[in-house]
Amino acid sequence: MAQEHLNDNSLHQGREENSPPVDNQDGSLDNPQSEPGEARPTLFDRMQARQSTLRTSHPADVGSEEVVEETGGKKPARSRDSIMRRRWRKFKSLKRGYYSFILLIVLYVLSFFLPLFVNNMPLMVTYNGETYFPAFADLVGSPYYPWEMFGRTGDESFVNFHELKEQIENDPTSENSILMPLYTWDPLEGDYVEGVPPTKPSSRHVLGTDATGRDVLARILYGFNISISFGLLMTLITFLLGTFFGALMGYFGGKFDLVVQRGIEVWQTLPSLYVIIIVSSIIIPNFLILILLLAAFGWMGMTYFMRGEFYREKAKDYVAAAISLGTKDSTIIFKHILPNSLTPLIATFPFAVVAGITGLVSLDFLGYGLPPPTPSWGEMLNVGLNNFSGNFQNWWLVIVPVTAMFLTLLMVTFIGEAIREAFDPKVFSRLR
Amino acid sequence: MFNYFLRRFLLIIPTFFIATAIVFVILQVTPGGPFEQIMLQAKMQAQGGEGGGGSGNFQESINIPEESVAELKRYFNLDKPIYTRYFIWIGNVLQGDLGKSYKFSEPVVDVIKDRLPISIFFGLTGFILSYLICIPLGVWKAVKHGSAFDITSSALVFMGYSVPGFALGAVLMVTLGSAGYFPLGEFHSLDWDSLSFGEKILDQIHHAVLPVIAYMVGGFATLTILMKNSLMENLGQDYVRTAFAKGLPERRVVFVHAFRNSLIPIVTGLGHFIGLVFAGSFLIEKVFNIDGMGYVGYRAVVERDYTFVMGTLAIGIVILTVGNILSDIFYALVDPRIRFK
Repeated sequence: MAQEHLNDNSLHQGREENSPPVDNQDGSLDNPQSEPGEARPTLFDRMQARQSTLRTSHPADVGSEEVVEETGGKKPARSRDSIMRRRWRKFKSLKRGYYSFILLIVLYVLSFFLPLFVNNMPLMVTYNGETYFPAFADLVGSPYYPWEMFGRTGDESFVNFHELKEQIENDPTSENSILMPLYTWDPLEGDYVEGVPPTKPSSRHVLGTDATGRDVLARILYGFNISISFGLLMTLITFLLGTFFGALMGYFGGKFDLVVQRGIEVWQTLPSLYVIIIVSSIIIPNFLILILLLAAFGWMGMTYFMRGEFYREKAKDYVAAAISLGTKDSTIIFKHILPNSLTPLIATFPFAVVAGITGLVSLDFLGYGLPPPTPSWGEMLNVGLNNFSGNFQNWWLVIVPVTAMFLTLLMVTFIGEAIREAFDPKVFSRLR
Repeated sequence: MFNYFLRRFLLIIPTFFIATAIVFVILQVTPGGPFEQIMLQAKMQAQGGEGGGGSGNFQESINIPEESVAELKRYFNLDKPIYTRYFIWIGNVLQGDLGKSYKFSEPVVDVIKDRLPISIFFGLTGFILSYLICIPLGVWKAVKHGSAFDITSSALVFMGYSVPGFALGAVLMVTLGSAGYFPLGEFHSLDWDSLSFGEKILDQIHHAVLPVIAYMVGGFATLTILMKNSLMENLGQDYVRTAFAKGLPERRVVFVHAFRNSLIPIVTGLGHFIGLVFAGSFLIEKVFNIDGMGYVGYRAVVERDYTFVMGTLAIGIVILTVGNILSDIFYALVDPRIRFK
């Protein structure tokens, strides 16, 4: 108990030195629709500076050697490592977040192999002595299997493996065999056997079909991979941009800082969704263009964190030492200061992923996101609302994508909360 | 301090010019604007409606006389270079003329006047309700930190954070709306004009419940956690210890000493809220089919109603920047420790 208390407090003390300016105000949740805040950095810088001076005089029972370990610039590598390990241990102890983390990673990795689980192509088919592995081929590329291969000479259209399966199973005498995946629907494949789509959930389509007869479950699952990939990549790009500009602003300060800040203010005033809609109505955006478009309007938040961090770190002795030794600016920025300023990056990462996924869903919902027929949750929700006119009509088309989105974002939020708690040194002592 | 805010207000001017110029250029440079739309229509009519797939070079059309094209270009000022067009627009704006909307064929100001009350209604209701709910909830969670109540309500807060407002709105409409508890969208009933005053109020509330929940859900989580964390942090401060040490009752320490200090970060939201009301949330308005500022603005963008987009943008930028400055002023007012320079 005592040891743990000591550790927490040392984290507390060490972190106050370099806690991000907005962290305090931000609470725990980073609202994706939050309004751009003008001049917040200066405000919070000041407030934080004020508070940290108040706190350093705080008579906390802190093991002093711990403090040296965290803030001392002499052995950054070793101390960083140990504090990271401590944070990781703390993160693991927060079960809700930790299990969400494990589950989400497993699901995300599995989702890259979806063609092996959810596909209208068989895992293995043996026809007239020839053996094919269409699902595996589908995993690595887009294979072509014409009916010619399976007995219909001259028919070059793509084979319907559902039909082929029936054909093979109705003929017990032949030695042909077919092994279908777990769930036999492709996210882009229309099925009209059950009548005019959308059809409600049944044993054939577990979560029903959408307005063009495509299987909802298959689309949700493939959409999961797209959503997570989108969120991760977008966060990575926004963080890279935000860190780069924020670092330069904080390090060089002065006129450069002022000019870039004004630029960011103007950029934030632009109605980002309007601009994205206009741009994506002229060029049909693909996955990467859409990420870049959304990232172009989403990187400013991180500059505030990084700018504050760099302002604070630059005032420290180890930077002064590096400067007086004549170390290059780029080396100081990226090798000396940056490794000491990664905390806000890691602590806000999951919330930025939530914002990224929500952004994609919103754009898809409006019809300006990924081009059809990409399986996307936003597009499915839009189809659902367009086919709804009361009385639970086609309810699954709305409920299913929102539930999928909700569960995914909930997991990411749990991870974010746990990471925040693991990284946040503040020990809230309740009443005395 | 005064100088700081004066400078901030003066900075609105360059921000305004640069931001409007960027959007103006984007709007004018991208194809598909009103000029092209009219040309396309004229071409389609001339071809007798057969040209469905007739995209591409509008100018090539032989059916439209040269001089009418030139006249049309003159009408949209397309015969002048783009910076001249921008200066014409900004000149009109400075004289209080936002122009006439192509889509609604009435002045932009009138369209805004029609829709703004709707957005203000939702924005204000959502804002007041979320502060009324989140602040007590956050305080309660902080005081009861670690209790069963805190943990269950935290779960609710996370759930609220994990679903975008418009998606929740869609689900509520499909479930509660279908079950007949609430109407399926629209601002109020079709027979609104024939209702008595009392019925109008009831009808309005009935229609507003689901959209307001959707409006609130995003900010709800953020605000509650912000309130909780802020109060918790203050409860850990020395002055609280001092207050306890001199024997004050817990109630007084929490609500008089710590609570007032912990409201400081909450106050910032007040200024930003103005911008939020003006913009509306077009996603929620789209889901519920409400003709507020957000949805109208969105459709104007989609249909390239330049004057309307630019008009709302001009007003929006001023409101947003003023809102930001206001929140800083609020900040300085409630926390005298904060100094701007």
